[in-house]
Amino acid sequence: MSNQSTSYYVNRRQQNWSRNQNTTRYVSAIKLGPVAHTVLVALMIIVLGLIYVTQATRTTGYDYEMQKIDSQIADYDQQKSELEIENTRLTALETVKNSSVAKEMTASADTQYVQQ
Amino acid sequence: MKPSVLRQGSRSRILAAVILGIAAIFVIRLFYLQIIQHGYYVDLASAEQMTRERIPAKRGEIYAMSGDSPVKMVLNETVYTVFVDPSVITEPKKVIDVMKQVAGGNVRDDFEDSVNAKELRYRVIANKVTRLQADKIKDAGLKGIGFQAVSQRVYPEESLASQVLGFVDTEGEGKYGLEGFENDALKGIDGRLETVTDVSDIPLTIGDRNVREAAQDGKNIVMSLDRNVQSHTEQALADGLKRTGATAGSVLVMNPNNGQVLAMANLPTYNPGKYFEVQDAAAFNNGTISAPYEPGSDVKTFTMATGIDKNVVRPSDTYYNTDSIKIDDRTIGNATKGHTGNITFQTALTFSLNTGFVTVAQRLGDGQNITKGARDIMYEYFHDRFRLGQLTGVELSNEAKGILISPDEEDGNAVRYSNMSFGQGLDATMIQVGGGFSAMINGGNYYKPTILAGEMIDGAFKKNADVQPVQSGVVTASTSSQMRDMMQTARAVSFGRTDKKGYNIGGKTGTSQVIKNGQYSDTETIGTYLGYGGAETPEYVIMVSVSGDNKQLQGARDALPIFTDISNWMLDYLKIQPKG
Repeated sequence: MSNQSTSYYVNRRQQNWSRNQNTTRYVSAIKLGPVAHTVLVALMIIVLGLIYVTQATRTTGYDYEMQKIDSQIADYDQQKSELEIENTRLTALETVKNSSVAKEMTASADTQYVQQ
Repeated sequence: MKPSVLRQGSRSRILAAVILGIAAIFVIRLFYLQIIQHGYYVDLASAEQMTRERIPAKRGEIYAMSGDSPVKMVLNETVYTVFVDPSVITEPKKVIDVMKQVAGGNVRDDFEDSVNAKELRYRVIANKVTRLQADKIKDAGLKGIGFQAVSQRVYPEESLASQVLGFVDTEGEGKYGLEGFENDALKGIDGRLETVTDVSDIPLTIGDRNVREAAQDGKNIVMSLDRNVQSHTEQALADGLKRTGATAGSVLVMNPNNGQVLAMANLPTYNPGKYFEVQDAAAFNNGTISAPYEPGSDVKTFTMATGIDKNVVRPSDTYYNTDSIKIDDRTIGNATKGHTGNITFQTALTFSLNTGFVTVAQRLGDGQNITKGARDIMYEYFHDRFRLGQLTGVELSNEAKGILISPDEEDGNAVRYSNMSFGQGLDATMIQVGGGFSAMINGGNYYKPTILAGEMIDGAFKKNADVQPVQSGVVTASTSSQMRDMMQTARAVSFGRTDKKGYNIGGKTGTSQVIKNGQYSDTETIGTYLGYGGAETPEYVIMVSVSGDNKQLQGARDALPIFTDISNWMLDYLKIQPKG
């Protein structure tokens, strides 16, 4: 049977208390009554509420920003779509056939193939 | 001892009781409103705060091929309908002036009356106003004028391939052609937006009941139809009609090696962007798929292929031609007379002699009669193998089935089948004939005719997987080869000089009598030509049909030159090198 040494964890605060037996704890002389407590709790609730309202309003602000960007995207999409249509109209066979460049072209000759 | 204020009967006690009673009423009322009526008021609030909108799906675009690249044939455009609320308009004259100046071509005839009709609240004054025009009108800062965005289809190629494309009606539904057949796929699925909005209808993300389902846009379809082939085919058909005096015509061009349609031309035609101006709805029909007719002598190739495949005839075999042949109580004659005596079946095909193909039908039986066995064989080949009288399943609206009478039916007698051997007594569409003919000349593989090549996904062309034949062994490779030779010889004898040298071009003329009031008309015929072209192997099949009221049109004189025009052009376009 082998011997195993066991180590115990002793936290530092406990060690300190043990070393400084004369340490005293400070106790405030200010006493808060029940009314003051209630007022403080109410104030905390109000502050938290304000923080919540501020955050909620901030997200709404983002909504307006998003709406503006969405609207811009829609506008650009529409402009892109219009340009595509214009491009397709300009490259349509009928348009090309009737173009001044096409009218000045000569008819193509038969294709000739070279035998190797 | 109780404090004096709470002594029984004191005024304070009564006041406390009253306050308590009122508070109780409040509590009960609030309980009623907030608990019992909760759902009702939530609904009321939702109706007030929530906006429900449909997010429209974008209709899919349609592409055609231009060589190897897809090009747009059908797109979407947002235009605006302009409306006014005359009771709000403060400067009617300015509204009229601005509308005339900016959108003069789009205003309604009575728009000035509408602007001045103070007793009305909503009047449309202009349609299809572009975004640029709408912006200019908005910039004028007019009161009482509004805009409604509307999506419309744009067909930049105008009437090109109109019967293949179809159109979209005012309800947004596709009609005819690909727009009709693939309407559900093209439409997509609308999305939905339910959200809390502010007074300006701007969606807000507050709350947990917002719903946003994105729209699923429609599929962008790429057709196998080639824009350049289509354009040349339509031009060749138009030239042909002008030359012959025919008033209607159709041409089908397809790839016999995969069933893909390269062109479908029909005249008269229309512009799908202005479909509402069409007077005769017949212009919407695609004649190559919707108009079954008696194919006439083109079918002789099917009869000959059946005979060769069943080893009852060879092209060099002979029969004795007297220019007429008797089947039961009917005598069938040749349209072309004089090639009498012992002649080959090649000669019968070259000069389109009816007697030759009735003889083939007889040889499928006992040699003298078109027996039930012969009719069963013909029906098997025509219907089950070449698929005449069956829907091909091509992805276009209004495909017609045609009629092929079975030998098991009372009308499926020897006389009917003798007529069928040279193309009468059955109704088939051009796409059926083209599909069956492709199988006959490509070595015996039947491919389903298709107009689809693939789809565009995120701007990239995704081709459909390589198609496999629906049926192999329709005829043997040997039969296929002999039929190609026969048709090449038939064409070379009379019409070969117009073809480019070094290619294998073959075909068969057809002249079909039109049935009017249940009887064959003597004054009206349809001219057709069915053929193929290529070098070592067939690369394209072309079928031409021309017709006109009280016009006697012939396959050789009227339809064949259109075939030749397209065929010679195809050889260059497909860059097919001549043999050897």
